Amino acid sequence: MTLLKISKQAKRELAFAGSLFLLGVFVAWDTSKMQIPQGNSIVSPQTFPYMVAAFTSLVALGLIFNLLRGNHGTPDGDSPGDPFTPLNLKTMLIVASAIILHVILLEIAGYVVAAALCFWGVAYGFGSRKYLKDAGISVVFAVIVYFAFSKGLNINLPSGFFEGILANG
Amino acid sequence: MGSNFSMLMDGFQIAFTPTNLMFGLLGTFLGTLVGVLPGIGPALAIGLLLPITLTVNPTSALIMFAAVFYGAMYGGSTTSILLNTPGESGSVITALEGNKMAKAGRAGAALATAAFGSFVAGTIATLLLAFGAPAMAELALTIQPAGYLALIILAFATVGTLLGTSRIRGLVALSVGLVIGLIGADLQSGALRLTFGNLNAIDGIETVTVIVAIFALGEALYLASRHQLQVATVLTINGRAWMTRSDFKRSWKPWLRGTAIGFPLGVIPAGGSEVPTFLSYGVEKALAKNKDEFGKGAIEGVAGPEAANNANAAGVLVPMLALGLPTSATAAVVLVAFQSFNIQPGPMLFQTNPEIVWGLIASLFIGNFLLLVLNLPLIRFWVMLLKIPRQYLYAGITTFALLGAYALNNSTFDLQVALAIGVIGFLFRRFGVPITPLIIGVILGPLAELYFKRALQISQGDWNILIAGGFPKVIYVILILVIIGPLVWNLKKKFAVDK
Repeated sequence: MTLLKISKQAKRELAFAGSLFLLGVFVAWDTSKMQIPQGNSIVSPQTFPYMVAAFTSLVALGLIFNLLRGNHGTPDGDSPGDPFTPLNLKTMLIVASAIILHVILLEIAGYVVAAALCFWGVAYGFGSRKYLKDAGISVVFAVIVYFAFSKGLNINLPSGFFEGILANG
Repeated sequence: MGSNFSMLMDGFQIAFTPTNLMFGLLGTFLGTLVGVLPGIGPALAIGLLLPITLTVNPTSALIMFAAVFYGAMYGGSTTSILLNTPGESGSVITALEGNKMAKAGRAGAALATAAFGSFVAGTIATLLLAFGAPAMAELALTIQPAGYLALIILAFATVGTLLGTSRIRGLVALSVGLVIGLIGADLQSGALRLTFGNLNAIDGIETVTVIVAIFALGEALYLASRHQLQVATVLTINGRAWMTRSDFKRSWKPWLRGTAIGFPLGVIPAGGSEVPTFLSYGVEKALAKNKDEFGKGAIEGVAGPEAANNANAAGVLVPMLALGLPTSATAAVVLVAFQSFNIQPGPMLFQTNPEIVWGLIASLFIGNFLLLVLNLPLIRFWVMLLKIPRQYLYAGITTFALLGAYALNNSTFDLQVALAIGVIGFLFRRFGVPITPLIIGVILGPLAELYFKRALQISQGDWNILIAGGFPKVIYVILILVIIGPLVWNLKKKFAVDK
């Protein structure tokens, strides 16, 4: 039993399993608050969600039990027993920020700006430090995708700032 | 059978129109292109290419998908052999021996046996699909809702517990998928679930968004968190990608055995391409005359699993088309492609949309052939793709995935969902939870509820209907044997050891 020596990764994994248990509880709570429209259906729309909620909490408990017995998950790409690769939060947050920026900017600034910034940000997050070259590639990528989709496939993407230039170009 | 043959010929006529042939060609090209890119498996490849078909007519679009489907698998094996980074679980075994062969300067032979093996297996398996799927659909017409529910539960159990190394983690993934599947309005009563008053959530979460986000964004976040950027070495090919007579002699039996293992395990929900490729590898190793060559680059170890992988993928299409039940991530995306044209795969598909389904099957043959012709001669072009710097590759995948999520409904809400799913994908990878059961949960969860309700409506609320009748009973017995049997077996062994 490795109960006494809980590593950082094990703590995080326990927190993950615990939040899954809470997810099940939450689904049950949401289901209990469900407003059921009038009508006489034989099976309540609550039955299945309750089953899912119970299942979710149950397997989360199973996972917690599994973890307490010392059976930890093997991160993707590692082999069982490999030392844990430390978490590099900084690079991960850069990539996450690039994605969030894309989500926020898309309808405000248009596709080309959002996609180019996202591309540049992810490349930066993955360690690229050739700022100007990356900027060039990002813009070219975004412009090509924009035109291929909006002109070639008739899929409308927000044009943003460039409305006048790109739409009529 | 006779009428199936003529239907298939009609299918070829549909597929052989210049427009559709062009879409097939484009699909093989794009599929291979995206499949070759490291880290992109067939499911993500099709998911990323889904927006492209939004403006194309259903038949052409599905023909293109069929081509992308096989193309992505061909491309994936190239990456496994030359780069040793399998894009999906089915290519893990290929990488095992294939990469060793490439290191020993036999990359050409490994690529050739993979390509020919995929062609042989794909052709045989598609033939079996063409005759098996309509037969299964006919049988399926008699299956009651309770029987369908039993089948779905069996699929849940096999996909959840057979994938990956940990049963409990597979079930955890399934449960999260089921929760995501709950989001939105209940189909029958209209009651809202887990929508938090958000109007966008009423229609539920798009399956494509889930697939694209969990594979692309989840992977990008995960790799960034590990910051592993050492460039993998792309192995070079000496001479042509071709095989000698003796390579061929050693390969043809593994191809056929791989097909025989892969196809049936795809038809029954046995949990993805991992099991059949492993099995095929095991069989080839056991039958090989020179066992010590295994682990150092034995051609049989590439030929068998590659054939098993392709045959398995075609086999998975049988329940997908005939029952509407996808049991792999890739089949799930193909199902979504059908649904985006308001076509529901299932027993009625062969009657309601014969031109589409037979056109699709015919194009699987054509796509498979085109791939064989295109793939090996173009190998140097594909290899160039492997040299794209990692930072640009993941920047491109991430940006393109976001585009795919947005273009489906032109909605920012879908992008927010994609971000959330991406984080889930990251956590799953970090804690060793498999991805596929989640996707199966998302797509089959609502279907399970539908059949559950239908069954109880038929019986006026009597729960006994769920296990009444021969068919559900048979399925549940299989379930008990397949899932609980090994558990008991393990426990017994454990106790025996403890004593």
